[in-house]
Amino acid sequence: MIVLHRLVRLAVVLLVVTFLSYALLNLLPGDPVTQILGMSATEESRAQLRQQLGLDQPLLVRYLDWLGGLVTGDFGESYITRMSVGAELAERLPVTLELLVAAEVVALGLAVPLGMAAARRAGQPLDQALTALSFALLSTPVFVLGVLLILVFAVTWQVLPATGWTSLTTDLGWNLTSVILPAVTLGCGQLAVYSRLLRTDLIATLQEDYITLARARGLSPRRILWRHALRPSAISLITAIGLNLGALIGGTVIIETLFGLPGIGRLIVDSIFSRDYLTVQGGVVLISVGYVAVNFTVDLVYAAVDPRIRHA
Amino acid sequence: MRRWKTAAVVMLAVTVMTACSGQRPVETSQAEAPPAATGPTRGGRLVYGLSADGNGFNPITDQFAVQSYSMTTPIIEPLVSVDANGDWRPYLAESLTPNDAYDEWAIKVRPNISFSDGTPLTGEVVKANLEAQKASPLTAAVLAPVTAVELTDPMTVTVKLRQPWVAFPYQLSLQVGMIIPPASLADLKEASRTPVGTGPFLFKEYVPDNRMVVTRNPKYWREGLPYLDEVEFRILPDSQTRAQTLEAGGVDAVGTNRDEDVVKFGDMKDAYTVHRAQGMSVSEYVFLLNTAAPPLDDVRVRRALAHALDRDTIIKTLRGGLTEPADGPWSKDSKWYVDGGYPDYDLAKATALVQEVEADKGPIRFEAISTTDPNTMQLVELCQDMWRKAGIDVTIRQADQADLINRALTGDYGATVWTAFSAADPDGEYNALHQAFARPIGQISLNPTRLKDKQLSDALDAGRVTPDEAVRKQAYATVQQRLRDQMPILFIDHLNTGAVIAKTKVRGIGEHTLPDGEKGRPLTGAPIPYHPFAQIWVSE
Repeated sequence: MIVLHRLVRLAVVLLVVTFLSYALLNLLPGDPVTQILGMSATEESRAQLRQQLGLDQPLLVRYLDWLGGLVTGDFGESYITRMSVGAELAERLPVTLELLVAAEVVALGLAVPLGMAAARRAGQPLDQALTALSFALLSTPVFVLGVLLILVFAVTWQVLPATGWTSLTTDLGWNLTSVILPAVTLGCGQLAVYSRLLRTDLIATLQEDYITLARARGLSPRRILWRHALRPSAISLITAIGLNLGALIGGTVIIETLFGLPGIGRLIVDSIFSRDYLTVQGGVVLISVGYVAVNFTVDLVYAAVDPRIRHA
Repeated sequence: MRRWKTAAVVMLAVTVMTACSGQRPVETSQAEAPPAATGPTRGGRLVYGLSADGNGFNPITDQFAVQSYSMTTPIIEPLVSVDANGDWRPYLAESLTPNDAYDEWAIKVRPNISFSDGTPLTGEVVKANLEAQKASPLTAAVLAPVTAVELTDPMTVTVKLRQPWVAFPYQLSLQVGMIIPPASLADLKEASRTPVGTGPFLFKEYVPDNRMVVTRNPKYWREGLPYLDEVEFRILPDSQTRAQTLEAGGVDAVGTNRDEDVVKFGDMKDAYTVHRAQGMSVSEYVFLLNTAAPPLDDVRVRRALAHALDRDTIIKTLRGGLTEPADGPWSKDSKWYVDGGYPDYDLAKATALVQEVEADKGPIRFEAISTTDPNTMQLVELCQDMWRKAGIDVTIRQADQADLINRALTGDYGATVWTAFSAADPDGEYNALHQAFARPIGQISLNPTRLKDKQLSDALDAGRVTPDEAVRKQAYATVQQRLRDQMPILFIDHLNTGAVIAKTKVRGIGEHTLPDGEKGRPLTGAPIPYHPFAQIWVSE
């Protein structure tokens, strides 16, 4: 039942989001015809192409036409490359997905131990140092961090490639090597947010009576943290993971441009600049579905982490 | 237990660092001869960083920017090329012969050339290509003077023109002259993704926004070429990380238009070579002025704007002193250049003109359009400040490329930044400057300044129809004088910071000979130039 309810909500979200993005994009000055034909085409050539592409139709007609195609799984054809939008998205989705997953792994892999260490030593020099590090990471724009990491690891030490991408299926080793710097750059901002959230919640949890009882029973601080405090303190962290997905996808645009990765973010931004409406729409649908799906998963994870939510 | 864990972590770290060390394994060179200090060596692989991807590789349906030419010309070749003196030379064509009136051109196709799919290059194929170009909305305007394309004999095509056109062959050195086989003509969509041609390289792989790989064409019609086994074009849109990738060894050469790269890598002469475009290949950075709308419909305002601009300060401040001030569409090292008549920087004159206009018509206010990148914004803000000192109130509107082009074409602007004028022959600017292409505001105008000047247009016509170089020089001298007098365009500088930077092991960039032995034009295109790849070699 809850799944059906979510699916209905997803459909509504998609309708609203895709219509708004379609309308906003069409409100932008300029159209794909200028991008396709450039400066030297005549008025007649432009009118002919506009008609061929269906751009002479009213906005609502074009939107409904696109929506009808979407229902049958047809995302349409790019105005600029004349390739199937579905195929273009499918080609780029693995790149962005891998980048997002790798960034989350970096962020969570470091945020959990750092957050726990800071909570355990709240107010002490280690906690203060980690707080300073978190604020430094939060206030450093990703493009600055990316350039710095390239300078250190690629230009100076030459242990990682500066830019470029090899797919997982082509060469696993080279793929992992090429994703490290982009993932660390993207993950660092999240790392700061996650570690601060976890630290705050853990400090509150460590004040609870059952923790005092556990201490009284003689359990080691490490066991208390990992076994008794972490799980109930993870709710905010899990919420943040779901909600931050949007910010993370926004970040991929910069990261993909900086590191020359052929992902969805770059495709959407390039398509906005070239007024390639259908490609943007395809990207918007994909991101909307992903966002709703991740947050739905987060809701399910809540129940698994905290039985009180399941029973409620 | 703890010791075991520590050992495992150390081993894992060592494994990861080993896997991560160094760059991508370099493919073994397939050199057929040992490297020689005196001449080209065959074999090797070149990784070349480009600033953007192409929209497609079909010259009939896809608009070619400079990066498209870089990626496509190794595979698809044109009928004509341009030599180091700026004169056109036959390439896939063996000869191009005009009739006495220059309103017919007989294009004789070079014999014994085949496409990589085995189809021979014939007059019939050239005819089909030119007809497809003529029918394409993308290129129809360029070929508007063409009335018919006829097959005179199996290897000769005659192009009939509506009017004499002496510079017609130059058009065939560009997109409209690039020849694809019948199979590509039959499937234009497939040809966009899988280019086939007569060129020195064969298409191997393309991943959009990532890379394109081309390999040596073993049956290339020019004997002994190409030197390289393979070229990989890597799409790296960020200029800073593109330069860092060159430093890190991830690519062997990159295109750039960043002043700091030209200076920085230029200082490292032992490790890198910097190749910059020169002469007619260099585009000019300008402000287009909308002469059809007030206040810029008044030539006094346009001249005041020019007098108020201190181009030397702009170049010193924003270009690191690397570029040359421009006073017209052609640079001083071009044979078409004539000196004199451009309004000098003179704030007193600018202010006097402004006061004269204001006495007649009131305050002068207009909007200048800038692209959104910070470098352009800095330039427009600097100009805004200079104009303000002369009493002209300019507001700045930021627009992305699509919006800016659309506004220029429809006349919805006062002034706008622009780069133009990199055609090999002055006739290449015909449509953009001629009054026949100026349309009222609201309509698409291929002449974006909408200046209707009979003397200027007559001079452009004279340059188009006469073969006499002295007469042509006189005609284009008039064009420059009229532009300086009427000022539909504010010229800032010749953008010669467009460059290709390569490791010193990469040889032959910009040094190539044409099929009949002439030295070819080194680099061309703006803002980042391109060049042929057939005669590039790696000295390892």
